[in-house]
Amino acid sequence: MAQTGAVAPAAPAAAEPVARRAVSRRATGHPAGSGGWRKRLEILLFVTPALALMAVFVVWPVVAAVRMSFFRWKGFGPMDDFVGWNNYALVLKDQVFTDAVMHNFVIVVLSLLVQLPLGLAIALLLNRKIRMRGLLRTIVFVPYVVAEVIAGVVWFQLLQPGYGVVDGLVSAVGLTPPEQGFLGTPSLTLWTLFVVLTWKYLGMAILLFLAGLQGVPDELYEAAQIDGASWWQAQRRIAIPLLGPTMRTWAFLSMIGSLQLFDLVWVLTGGGPANATTTMATYLVNQGTARSNYGIAGAASVVLFVVAFVMAVLYQIFVLRRDTTEAR
Amino acid sequence: MPRKTRSAALAALCAGVLVTTAACGGGDDSSEGGDGSTITWWHNSNNEPGKGYYEQVAKDFEADHPGIDVQVSAMAHEDMVDKLEAAFQSGDVPDVYMERGGGELADHVEAGLVRDLSEDAADEIEAIGGSVDGWQVDGQTYALPFSVGVVGYWYNTELFEKAGIEAPPTTMGELYDVVDQLKAADITPISVGAGDKWPAAHYWYYTALRSCSQDVLSQAITDRDLSDPCFVKAGEVLEELLAQEPFNPGFLTTPAQEGATSASGLLATGKVAMELQGHWEPGVMQGLTDDGKGLGAKTGWFPFPAVEGGAGDPEAQLGGGDAWAVAESAPDEAVDLVKYLLSDEVQKGFAENDMGLPTNPAATGSVSDPALAELIEVRDAAPFVQLYFDTEFGTSVGGAMNDTIALLFAGKASPQEVVDATQQAADQEG
Amino acid sequence: MATVTTSAGPARAPRRSRTFGGGGPLVYGLAAVVVALTLGPVLYGALGGFRTNEQLARDPAGLPDPWVFSNYQGVLTNDAFWRYAVNSTVVAVVTTVVAVLFGVMAAYPLARYQFRLREPLFLVFVLGLLFPAAVAIIPLFILVTRDLGLGNTWWGVALPQAAFALPMTVVILRPFLMAIPRELEEAALIDGASRVGVFWRIALPLSAPGMITVGVLAFVASWNAYLLPLLLLRDEMRTLPLGVADYSTEHSADTAGVLAFTTIAMIPALVLFLALQKRIVSGLQGAVKG
Repeated sequence: MAQTGAVAPAAPAAAEPVARRAVSRRATGHPAGSGGWRKRLEILLFVTPALALMAVFVVWPVVAAVRMSFFRWKGFGPMDDFVGWNNYALVLKDQVFTDAVMHNFVIVVLSLLVQLPLGLAIALLLNRKIRMRGLLRTIVFVPYVVAEVIAGVVWFQLLQPGYGVVDGLVSAVGLTPPEQGFLGTPSLTLWTLFVVLTWKYLGMAILLFLAGLQGVPDELYEAAQIDGASWWQAQRRIAIPLLGPTMRTWAFLSMIGSLQLFDLVWVLTGGGPANATTTMATYLVNQGTARSNYGIAGAASVVLFVVAFVMAVLYQIFVLRRDTTEAR
Repeated sequence: MPRKTRSAALAALCAGVLVTTAACGGGDDSSEGGDGSTITWWHNSNNEPGKGYYEQVAKDFEADHPGIDVQVSAMAHEDMVDKLEAAFQSGDVPDVYMERGGGELADHVEAGLVRDLSEDAADEIEAIGGSVDGWQVDGQTYALPFSVGVVGYWYNTELFEKAGIEAPPTTMGELYDVVDQLKAADITPISVGAGDKWPAAHYWYYTALRSCSQDVLSQAITDRDLSDPCFVKAGEVLEELLAQEPFNPGFLTTPAQEGATSASGLLATGKVAMELQGHWEPGVMQGLTDDGKGLGAKTGWFPFPAVEGGAGDPEAQLGGGDAWAVAESAPDEAVDLVKYLLSDEVQKGFAENDMGLPTNPAATGSVSDPALAELIEVRDAAPFVQLYFDTEFGTSVGGAMNDTIALLFAGKASPQEVVDATQQAADQEG
Repeated sequence: MATVTTSAGPARAPRRSRTFGGGGPLVYGLAAVVVALTLGPVLYGALGGFRTNEQLARDPAGLPDPWVFSNYQGVLTNDAFWRYAVNSTVVAVVTTVVAVLFGVMAAYPLARYQFRLREPLFLVFVLGLLFPAAVAIIPLFILVTRDLGLGNTWWGVALPQAAFALPMTVVILRPFLMAIPRELEEAALIDGASRVGVFWRIALPLSAPGMITVGVLAFVASWNAYLLPLLLLRDEMRTLPLGVADYSTEHSADTAGVLAFTTIAMIPALVLFLALQKRIVSGLQGAVKG
């Protein structure tokens, strides 16, 4: 905040209307300006607050987690029991953790396979000129804005075995709901969780796709219309290809989000039953808090970061790279 | 006190890693012990009548000890746990505070934070008897338990009657019969909050307690060695019980005591016939019913049944409780306060106010609540009260143990795996 | 995300017929299904708040009969609720202001200056997206409480949240700033305005739509945040999501009350987001359009 205080005195110079004196030709402060200490100072001034904040609250804790991962520490007393790579060995050998990694990947893949077409379909639908479009758009964003805790509390009620609304609906259509409930049957819980996740986060996909669709020039649709293309043909030939970069951006965010999944799982299942829905994040929080195994939690954090990092880099190389090169 | 819930356990992290009391909940300068004239005392009876009662106790003590000022802090249970952990980190421990015993206490003793009361309070320790076991480290006593409860089956007498059950079961075989009878009467027999894990773990603790002799148990705890075959047998007995399918639908995700659909809620609202729970159950059930009465007059209790052919004593009980401890740095008068807290007089008042299950035999007759009075009888008749294994072993080993037991409930772990996982966690502690 | 080159502008020409094809029965039918699935759970909560526990127990899926207002009344007259609401608001506002201000400052040179470290610097922010708060939550907790002494304070939660919101803010704002016509700034520079002045007087106002977008995203994220407040805030300082969790524990017999509490707790974020929905969509357009 102190930075902005320093900025303020310089501001009044620009207060006057800009266009009026634009005629006078002086040394053009070209944006790509000829270097010098002044430019460096300005860049520094602009970037430092953000970088400092991230260094303190993002980078430092991650570094500390890395350090913690090499010790056996109960969160109590000095951290002096160095165990080398032992915590990593424990984490990677722990079936609960490897299962958690599997769950994360199942959710990554399912999200892409299910939420992408679904989100796209709804976005295209909402991009049509239909009545109450504004209201409809508003409605589809609702779950995305609802807090994970609230969504968890409400869905937990809906999914109660026997008494819950979902069980009622399932039996109403003549099916037998699972005896232990959708959240209590280990073989079903991950799928149930995914349904709730889709409900919660589909709005994000729709939001981005709608934003992307706004950028499709009307002229293209008009031209297609004149050529006699159907609505669907126009979408497939024009809108969807133009949405490519948006979809790739969404896929990236969705992937990262799925790998980091925590809040909703924690509230809804706590990773259970029988570890059927543990994710890497619930595993590490559980190790750190319920079990006071801070070293193991640290090692799990590092593994989670490495997995996310590798996937992001691969995605950048194989998918996003295309956009960058195409764009130039 | 009700045991931790998932979110409470998380919040306790706050405590787990702190070094200064100033952090995590703001500064607390009330704990400047050691000047001889002031005694700080933290407790968790922050509701009436307990809160007022303890204020009076402090005043009475001050009257008998001129020049001594007792500063009482009544806090919500979880807050107190958090603040205590922070206090241990900084070494600035309140003079008189609560200890839950087991591995946690052992850590505090090792860090030199707790005063050895073995000699100063020898008379009180003698009077309390076997209940102090859970608060002993290497034969020395570091805290005086003032309330110790036991775990057992709370049941709905009306539903038992409806199913034609004449007497509560005393063996596992009889329990299976009861389950069959209840099912025949279309009543869900048992609820268990396996979603929170520890209520499920209590089952294994009990089958272990019934399958293993006292010697084997205490040796196993001292040596951190579960190689005796009786621990595998405990899991097998539990598998047998699970095969009867006695539990409420969705028990793997059922929370222990949150909401009407929790294990306690199901019992309180008459949806199941029984639940294995601690002495706090009547109070919890009261909070879970609209009328605030819980099961009321329909409340019944019976101890965990005997395991046929098990080496364990069927009279032994699983339990735990709270004890007053004195900080190493506290003035000598703090020891007097703790002794006073365990005196006939104070324990009687404690009992009359139904604040818990008093440990001083002189006070046990003063408990007015019939259900609690019955528990005290059972507790005092028990040859020994085994501390909850997770408390006994500490968070890391206890957590691994509870997690695997919950897996066994889900059919995802074998009896051998429960033992192996616990042993592995114990070995890792080194 | 490094691809976010764009032509999105703050000001757009009024649009003509965007799409052809209105709505047939099929379209409306599909829309109805989407609406039902989307709103169902939320309505269940909202309506549940108008029922008694007894009604909920008898028929979980029914409508209120009769309508009961005491649950909502109970929440609105609950001091704790208002305390949580104030905490949530302050934390969310501080988080948003810090994230947006620092974010737009950082995005500006990344959009407007040419320098060797520009892309690597941008990459630093993109990489920041890869750090979930959960990864470093335990060291972060130690840092905030022990080293900074900010445990159980508004700042202790807001600053880390702002830090974690920064990558997304920068990534979205950069293309926005890039899209501001250079002529305006050049004119000002010719006039002798300093670069900092140009930022303050021209770039900042013109990127307001983008700032609203990231601001709302940061606000909503903070409003809904659970893990960090859970670890850092206690007692009087708790925020609404913690209040919801606690309320559902403390009043666990009172399902209807819990539903009323959760419904009211979600309203502010919902209203803010939905009221600004159009701006957010156009704000995001800059970030996602290739």
